[in-house]
Amino acid sequence: MKDSLTTVVRSLIFVAFALILCALVFQFAGYNALTMLWAVADGAFLRSGAIEQSLRWALPLFITAVGVGISFRAGFFNIGAQGQFYVGAICAAFAAEAFKGGPAFLVIPALLISGMLGGALWALWPGLLRLRSGTDEVITTLMGNFMAGLLLVYVTSGPLKDPSGSGQQASSRPLDAAYRISDSLGLSPTIIAIAAAVGILMWLLVNRTAFGVLASLAGRNGTMVEWQGARLWKLGLSSFLISGALAGLAGTIEFMGPNGRIASGFLPAHGFTAILIALVANLSVLGTAAAAVFFGGLASAALYLPIMAGLPAAAIDIINAAIALFITARSKLVDRVLRFGGRPS
Amino acid sequence: MSNPPKPALECRDVTVKFGDVTALSDVAVSFAPGQIHAVVGQNGAGKTTFARVAAGLVQPTAGAVDVMGEEIRTGHVSQSRAAGVELVHQSFALPPSFTVAETMEFGATGKGGIYSRKSLAEKWQSHLAGLDVQVDLNRRIRDLPIETQQGIEIARALVMDARVLILDEPTAVLSPSSIDMLFARVRRLKERGVTVILILHKIREVLGIADTVTVLRGGRKVEGPLPIAEVSAERLANLIVGDAIAKTLDRHERDALVGTKSPVGEGAGHLENAKGPSVLSMKAVSTRPDSEGTALDSVDLDIRPGEIVGIAGVEGNGQKTLVRAISALADLASGSIRLAGNDVTGEPLAARRAIGLRIIPFERNVEGLSLTSSLWQNWSARELLQGRLLRLIRPSAVREACDRSLKDWSVHYHNSAQKAGSLSGGNAQKVILAREVDREARLIIAAQPTRGLDIGATAFVWQALRQARDRGAAILLISSDLDELFDISDRVVVMLSGQVNGEFRAPFDIASVGAAMTDAAARTSA
Repeated sequence: MKDSLTTVVRSLIFVAFALILCALVFQFAGYNALTMLWAVADGAFLRSGAIEQSLRWALPLFITAVGVGISFRAGFFNIGAQGQFYVGAICAAFAAEAFKGGPAFLVIPALLISGMLGGALWALWPGLLRLRSGTDEVITTLMGNFMAGLLLVYVTSGPLKDPSGSGQQASSRPLDAAYRISDSLGLSPTIIAIAAAVGILMWLLVNRTAFGVLASLAGRNGTMVEWQGARLWKLGLSSFLISGALAGLAGTIEFMGPNGRIASGFLPAHGFTAILIALVANLSVLGTAAAAVFFGGLASAALYLPIMAGLPAAAIDIINAAIALFITARSKLVDRVLRFGGRPS
Repeated sequence: MSNPPKPALECRDVTVKFGDVTALSDVAVSFAPGQIHAVVGQNGAGKTTFARVAAGLVQPTAGAVDVMGEEIRTGHVSQSRAAGVELVHQSFALPPSFTVAETMEFGATGKGGIYSRKSLAEKWQSHLAGLDVQVDLNRRIRDLPIETQQGIEIARALVMDARVLILDEPTAVLSPSSIDMLFARVRRLKERGVTVILILHKIREVLGIADTVTVLRGGRKVEGPLPIAEVSAERLANLIVGDAIAKTLDRHERDALVGTKSPVGEGAGHLENAKGPSVLSMKAVSTRPDSEGTALDSVDLDIRPGEIVGIAGVEGNGQKTLVRAISALADLASGSIRLAGNDVTGEPLAARRAIGLRIIPFERNVEGLSLTSSLWQNWSARELLQGRLLRLIRPSAVREACDRSLKDWSVHYHNSAQKAGSLSGGNAQKVILAREVDREARLIIAAQPTRGLDIGATAFVWQALRQARDRGAAILLISSDLDELFDISDRVVVMLSGQVNGEFRAPFDIASVGAAMTDAAARTSA
């Protein structure tokens, strides 16, 4: 209990440090830092309707980030969430073409499943390469992101091209309204239900199954688990596939929900924000939910800032980058602050 | 000239702290020149830290070090070396792909440059010969037996005209006959005027070689340097163990723990108890060569219920591969393995564990425990792997079971959520015992189960293995400590170059076991 509390406090301190750093940057850039931070808070959570907007961004991010957390726990640094997110959306879009005209209660689940399979497929080959020949999954999944991005350009300007498109950004033909799971605002009972189901299932998997315990042991010390008789590849590959499937599911939700189509280069930062969320949450499922709401809020504020407050949307990128900086540096400073007044157990 | 000679090495109130841990506490000791000094103590007594302070590898928190009466700057290897202090580490680190001559040239001087192998070999030939290291200087380090590597390490330390040579546990890796050769070499160094400080942990070795002995316990100096003629083995044993623990040990156990005399084993033997069909039966097992150790070459091994079979051998003669082969972690080239009557030759480790195989692995902190995971996760791993991966568990129930088990094994810990890495070596080993030594255990492999443990923890592990044996489990004990092997084994099997090279029954004869360890007839050079 104390452990998880420490984790929460640590993450909050990371974020606080990052915000202070950003305030300094804004101040130097000639903005009023306090106004800027206030506008971010306002855009994310305070103004009316802000919470709904933040959740619209938070839920898909949560789904992807939970998956990232599961692969990280098992010791696989799957940083290919972005590519898996794209491939999931692409597979769902192809499935939508194939199943066109079918009854919605069959087609909608079929599309969701196709998206998950697509995402899992995009995690399968780096996983196999790692387990078969030891190829570093950080490199392969990173390359996979670029490949998926190019694949998206191809399908949206080739096989799935919307002939009526204006041409500025290639995109697919829109999904039939019957199969949409939300309007363009992007928050609907279906999406909330999917995110909740993912959250509960993954929490159970991580905290209440033998798999969860063993995968976590394997992630920290694979050799030890091998000497216990576990088959590492089984634990590792399934974690990898789950993370891919969830990223694919998030891509499918964006396709079937708020976007209604896929466009080349859409949501280019989704996967990386999800990794950041998983790290801020220290890979816990509940922590991921909280962090996703926070980063969802930032994403929503990014749209609000230029329109409502006349401030650059890039402010949000700076905040994200600052948080990433502190999280990845595993700041000793924060550990010292936490130790203050008592020894760590 | 009436002054007594200045001490070769003197530590004045040296204290070393690593964080919260005090490794050495106000140690004041002075070693006379030209003698052989032994420093003894159990694991964790501070022997190695003392050596590292003298060699400049550790900066003491307080205190000073004098060499030949001159104070040196502590914490700098270069300063210690310039003053003539050299340390040969416990696990020496010669570059395996270098030839002997290259090792001498670059290891000793640290200089690079263009050279010819032939000229290097000529240059170092006489230096090595002068120290009785007979070796072809163009051979690579990795192809040499361990005792020759040690000789080269000593020769390398002496290149810089060392006046004080510290050898950290030099006997730990050697067979009995190689120990005799090492001691002969040490005596010749003394004749040359070198002051030798030997870190040892067996009393009979101390009595056999040293002029004085100094005892450390718990980071403090207990006694010393005492002239060897003035101490009895009995007194030395009590000094090392400490009165508190000495009372809890029977005399026989204590003697085995501190290596008072040549071990012979319990004599009585439990072999009458060892009845029934073999629990482990290996027939002509050979493994494919891999990077992790000497391959097995047609090994036959049978262990029956209720016996402890010890595997003796100089490290690196296939003991690791033996454990890995039984654990399905090495590829068999030929042969078969049966476990409790089942042919498990092609079966994975999980299936073998289900039949009752348990493993206390060599590397406690790598193969045995995940140091950054919680105690309950480490403890429960074996049971969790017995069933389906996706079955639901209740962590609170697992943690309660873990608490009960760890209490039974008298592990000292705060709560089961603490990280395994926060435990001492002895407690960490007890967690592994709690996991591996259960009622269903049929064959327990104990690989170096007491390495690095203090005397209390070592006695605990021995007791646990004996109890498991008395319950009817078969135990395979791998150890490089002959005292340990002889004390608790019912049979001892010697391994050499991946083969079984002899089998012995109590009472054990250290000379013949030692001969089998090195195959003295075949290998005379060292």
